[in-house]
Amino acid sequence: ISKPVKAKVSVLSEEAEEDDGDAGELGALRWKEGLAQKASEAFLRQQQAAPNLRKLVYGSVIEEQNSPSDEDADEIGGLFRVSRPEKSRSRRVDAMDCSRFVPDSPHDWDQEEVLNSIRDCFVTGKWEE
Amino acid sequence: MASQGLTYEGCNFFRQRLVLSTLSGKWVKIKNIRSKDDSPGLQDFEASFIRLMDKITNGTRIEINQTGTVLYYQPGLLFGGQVEHECNPQRSIGYYLEALLMLAPFMKKPLRAVLRGVTNDQKDPSVDTLKVTSIPLMKSFGIDGEGLELKIMKRGMPPGGGGEVLFTCPVRRTIRPVQLTDPGKIKRIRGTAYSVRVSPQIANRIVDSARSILNKFIPDIYIYTDHMKGGNAGKSPGFGLALVAESTNGMFLSAELASNPQGQGSPMLPEDLGCNCAKLLLEEVYRGGCVDSTNQSLALLYMTLGQQDVSKLLLGPLSPYTREFLRHIRDFFQIMFKIEVQKQEDESRRGGDKVLMTCMGAGYANISKTLK
Repeated sequence: ISKPVKAKVSVLSEEAEEDDGDAGELGALRWKEGLAQKASEAFLRQQQAAPNLRKLVYGSVIEEQNSPSDEDADEIGGLFRVSRPEKSRSRRVDAMDCSRFVPDSPHDWDQEEVLNSIRDCFVTGKWEE
Repeated sequence: MASQGLTYEGCNFFRQRLVLSTLSGKWVKIKNIRSKDDSPGLQDFEASFIRLMDKITNGTRIEINQTGTVLYYQPGLLFGGQVEHECNPQRSIGYYLEALLMLAPFMKKPLRAVLRGVTNDQKDPSVDTLKVTSIPLMKSFGIDGEGLELKIMKRGMPPGGGGEVLFTCPVRRTIRPVQLTDPGKIKRIRGTAYSVRVSPQIANRIVDSARSILNKFIPDIYIYTDHMKGGNAGKSPGFGLALVAESTNGMFLSAELASNPQGQGSPMLPEDLGCNCAKLLLEEVYRGGCVDSTNQSLALLYMTLGQQDVSKLLLGPLSPYTREFLRHIRDFFQIMFKIEVQKQEDESRRGGDKVLMTCMGAGYANISKTLK
């Protein structure tokens, strides 16, 4: 979701920069002032709104189970049907039953700033109060 | 009660379905198990798991169709007692043990299970990790006493296996609700570097490389080297490392890595394995929470089955397995958790965002436990 919004922001910022010269002289199109900043603020507000995890966990089940039955489209000559076992849905349903949670994009633990991000998890870090 | 049941599709989340079915008494039917696969139906390790479920229960009805693509499971009474099981080496003992950990406190007789097979592999949580994380977790839910033990008698690496594990667990009538919201700070790191049928020096090389990374954070690190010989070393060579970080509040976070099985993949350097495993532990610390990612579902199950009181638990990000487990808990026990995200401030150096899970226990009572 974040990508299109970001693109918008960049477009708007270009517009705002272009208009800056004219708007300052005319004073008519004041609503256009700081559009980039407004857009980025709106974007940040949207980002900060906590994602509704409860909805994510409990709400999406019905959607996932309603698999679209577009299998007819794969028919060859109205007689044979192309079997596609590598569909994303069937792969999830028949995926390996494993409780381990391997990180998708692990942090680069060779960098000092990444190391710093967990310093206070240890007794050697800073304590509250 | 007996007439109620649930239907699912596919072989994923196989264990949690059978475990929750057994605890709730509802039958479960799983259709289309690998129905489009080249080798359709249940595989050997799943059949082995079903046999284990049959051994610990009394009066379980299991029906499987000719091709093995449909399973009907009508749970019986959780009996427990002495059980010996030959675990299929396609999956490690951890695969079977995770289900036993969930079921053991609710049996009629205290469980004493001897499991034989692969103790450490790359897919499942190893016996070493479960020993140092799940057992303390069970204690915090009031499942403790002398009877709670997980012992590695023999080690076995894939593909041959040949390991042996003893798991004993006392029974409880009810489970205590918990309020685990403050993980505290990590005070020490422990670990086991194991090696079988390879040079004993390999374990030392693993220890050195893992220490070199972890020493940047904390000085209190001790990694045991465990080299088993002869009959205790199983049938295949291999080595690996299991790390655990203990916090001031008695919480445990773990990470582990094992070498590639003999004849599969390229050989691994012990130094690389040690480094990567230490980084995995740091990743786990970044995720944080009071329970590490492999034990999330175990803790959530005990919370669900606790007395009718509020339980709270702080977790790191929910794993895909846990998310599905929450949906299954809703299906079987009609209990939904309150899930709140706790954002970390930018300045704080305490890892990523945490999730606070709150629920009301179902008031589950182990009625088959004999009164003395």
